[in-house]
Amino acid sequence: MKIIVVGAGQVGSTIVDALHAEHDLTVIDTARDRLEPLAYRYDLRTIEANGASRLAIQQAGTAAADLFIACTSRDEVNLVACSFARVEAPRATIVIRTSNVEYIDLWREGRLDVDFAVSSELETAHAVARSIGMPSARQTDVFVDGQVQIVEFEIPEGADPAVVGRPLRDAHIPDDSRVLALIRESAMTLPGGDDVIREGDRIVVIGSPSAAREWGALLAPGEGVVEDVVVFGGGQMGTAIARTLSEQGIGVRVIEPALQRAREVAEELPDCRVFNATGIDPDFLERERIGRAQAAVFALREDPQNHYAATLARVHGVRFTIAVVHDTISTDVYELSGVDVTVNPRAVTAEEIVRFAHDPRTQQVAMLEGNRYEVLDITTQPTSEYVGLRFRDMPIRGALIGAIVRDGKALFPRSDEVLQAGDRVIVFTERSRVPDVERVL
Amino acid sequence: MSPDGRAARIGGRARIAIDVAGALGLTGTLLAYLSLSSLVPTVVAVGYGEPFWPFLAAGAIAGGLGLGLARLGRRSRGPIGFREGYLVVSLTWLLAALYAGLPYILSGEPQLSHPMDAFFEGMSGFTTTGATVVTDVESLDRSILIWRQLSQWLGGMGIIVLALAVLPRLRIGGRQMFESELPGPEVNQLAERIRDTARRLWLLYIGLTLALIAALLVVWLTGLDDALTPFDAVGNALSTMPLGGFATDNRSLEPFAPVTQWIVVAFMALAGVNFALLYRALVRRDARAIRRDEEARLYGLLLVVGSALVFTELVHADLFSGATAVRQAVFQTTSLMTGTGFAITDYASWPTVTLMAMIALMFVGASAGSPSGSVKIVRHLLVGRILRRELRQTIHPELVLPIRLNRQPVDERTLRAVLAFVVLYIGIFVIGAGLLAIDARIADLDLGVTDAIAASAGTLGNVGPGLGFAGPMGSYAPFSDGSKLVMALLMWVGRLEVLPVLVLLTRGYWRV
Repeated sequence: MKIIVVGAGQVGSTIVDALHAEHDLTVIDTARDRLEPLAYRYDLRTIEANGASRLAIQQAGTAAADLFIACTSRDEVNLVACSFARVEAPRATIVIRTSNVEYIDLWREGRLDVDFAVSSELETAHAVARSIGMPSARQTDVFVDGQVQIVEFEIPEGADPAVVGRPLRDAHIPDDSRVLALIRESAMTLPGGDDVIREGDRIVVIGSPSAAREWGALLAPGEGVVEDVVVFGGGQMGTAIARTLSEQGIGVRVIEPALQRAREVAEELPDCRVFNATGIDPDFLERERIGRAQAAVFALREDPQNHYAATLARVHGVRFTIAVVHDTISTDVYELSGVDVTVNPRAVTAEEIVRFAHDPRTQQVAMLEGNRYEVLDITTQPTSEYVGLRFRDMPIRGALIGAIVRDGKALFPRSDEVLQAGDRVIVFTERSRVPDVERVL
Repeated sequence: MSPDGRAARIGGRARIAIDVAGALGLTGTLLAYLSLSSLVPTVVAVGYGEPFWPFLAAGAIAGGLGLGLARLGRRSRGPIGFREGYLVVSLTWLLAALYAGLPYILSGEPQLSHPMDAFFEGMSGFTTTGATVVTDVESLDRSILIWRQLSQWLGGMGIIVLALAVLPRLRIGGRQMFESELPGPEVNQLAERIRDTARRLWLLYIGLTLALIAALLVVWLTGLDDALTPFDAVGNALSTMPLGGFATDNRSLEPFAPVTQWIVVAFMALAGVNFALLYRALVRRDARAIRRDEEARLYGLLLVVGSALVFTELVHADLFSGATAVRQAVFQTTSLMTGTGFAITDYASWPTVTLMAMIALMFVGASAGSPSGSVKIVRHLLVGRILRRELRQTIHPELVLPIRLNRQPVDERTLRAVLAFVVLYIGIFVIGAGLLAIDARIADLDLGVTDAIAASAGTLGNVGPGLGFAGPMGSYAPFSDGSKLVMALLMWVGRLEVLPVLVLLTRGYWRV
């Protein structure tokens, strides 16, 4: 595949690192000192030019490219580059990185002529939400911008008998969710109504964020549900994190040092409580009982601020701390000083783009159980033999449809729902059956 | 040497920063056009064979004065600015009241021809207050009656809003003058151009008035109400839609049948809704616009709760029962809350608890963007939210809590203006009541505490009747001239929502 990457920053170079072995890469960037290290390390072509220049896009051979990735840190450059690329190569797959949620929404509505839009802020927010989400969960993945979650749970002793120890058809399964898989002694089955969840099993559940949280509460009654998270920093990153957590039903407090920005955040997020404070004032932390929070996320503008604030929060008793990494080296610093989870926005963004590059039609691929099972996110073709069938009538061939996305909204279909052409389908399947599933849909 | 002194040496002329000539000119233009309205009572007078020359003469005087002022304004160049707007609005309403009083003086009508009475009645008309100095309404000429009603109807939607809608391009720059007459968060979003907005509002206003007249005429035609005449139908419709309160009968709306009173209640309640929302609901068929609006919802809720409370009190005091009690409670609550001032019984004789409720209702008002006066629902809503925020911030001082209205954040400047308005409103009300009490003492007039309070609240809130001798079936005639002047000024200040008038009293307004 011929791939063109605009932007050789952290995102661009992570993408290059992942894709260089199998594909022919051309990288465009304005800065020689960013291009040179790439050119020495990998076998690729570099062009020193502005990505928003039509000439540069032409010189890069966009007309013959299969995949075009615009991933500079500036939205406007990416937008211009993508619109030039669309003219040069109408059939190429185009991926844009943006920090603006508005563009993501536009893309989702089909009004932005790119094939895939990735936002560092949203990806980071989802990564944070995953790690806070559910203490009893082993692994979680989010789809459709957080509307669909797939969570793997370990069934502990003392789990709620409403779902455990009885046939699934009698179990009180939370609304908007279904059990995708039952894993017992490393054998996975796609469960039917007769199957019973037992202690020691592992299950894979698909559902809405609130349903997933209900599952978490059912399976681990003692640990409780996360209700109170403090986000330090109300910049674009902090706001995205706060919004994502709040949408999952978690109570979020945001601390933003700048008054004007604090006001903007408060106006933007009516469900969050926004404080205008530095976050490193011990009186404030004490007065607002920040130490009682179940988790704190540090998304301030500078890594040293995050580091100090996180350490201080730990002093005040916050048990679980997550910090956003702006500079790669900070990961080690954070971890050495006891931060529980670090999230690197550029790395998660690059991973997302790389995933997409593997198969453009499969919008997102999560891998569970050591790559034996996969969750596919596929848009059904009008020619698919399954279109028009009710879910109840579909022959099961080692795959299960967990959710569909219609008009941008996630649905958790009942058995009499009919599959329509153009539905995005989230399918859980064994790895060996992936080609089959992709073919029939 | 003081800075002022230095300025005087450099040039005295620069000290007044307001383009007074331009403002007078625009005021004159508005007055000249407004003077055409005297043609309506002239026609009525000719029709009924009554003297018509007082109206023609009043129109000629106002027109001549207006044109003279307009000529003065030619000396100034450029459009009327933001700052001149306050002067224009305040002066226009003052002159409109004087103009409305001219026919009363010229007609020699004994109840109205005293200049202070005429000014009071004129101001009460244009500001849609509905307080009257007339004791025997029915003895007035039909043409005079129609002029009283018409002055309310013209003032309801605002003189300048009317001018913007019908006149050729005026030298009015922005929306500020429009907003001082018809404030409201939704009002200026109806159209891109303020002229189109003004037109739509006036067309809706005319349409609703015609609908009310038609409904009342149907009642008359079907003989459901023996007391109702076509003249009453038109006359009372002209004072219902602007939430005015002048009636064509001595006993306000008491003589009419329940069905007539219910129709009037329905239109009073409707006229108390923000007209921009009414436009969207009735013309654009978007009924959700009203249901989703927080102010409209609170307005509806207060009408229901207020009526229910008054109903309970009436039944408890054994004054009315059953359907009559419901009608009395709903009518009086709606009438006082919206600032109309109609009555279907002499509620001034009701027990103290109910009277207190009546006085409290005078401070409520209807929605912003309606012809009602008083504090208005949206300000109550915002003040409530400000207070709730203060309570929350007492515990969490760093908490940032934007105040929202219909989910949109309201900026802090607006909130400050709302607080300032409420404080000033209450302050002016207290001063007004105090002045009335003092003046009554000097004039040896029997004015009780509640009467002074009700008279001040009733005129400042553009409600109309007070209590005691100035109650719904009485008149303001016994007050001294000084008290009448005070109350006329209260109406003026209340109609223009206090701030535009008070701004004129600051030094900073006139200076550079």
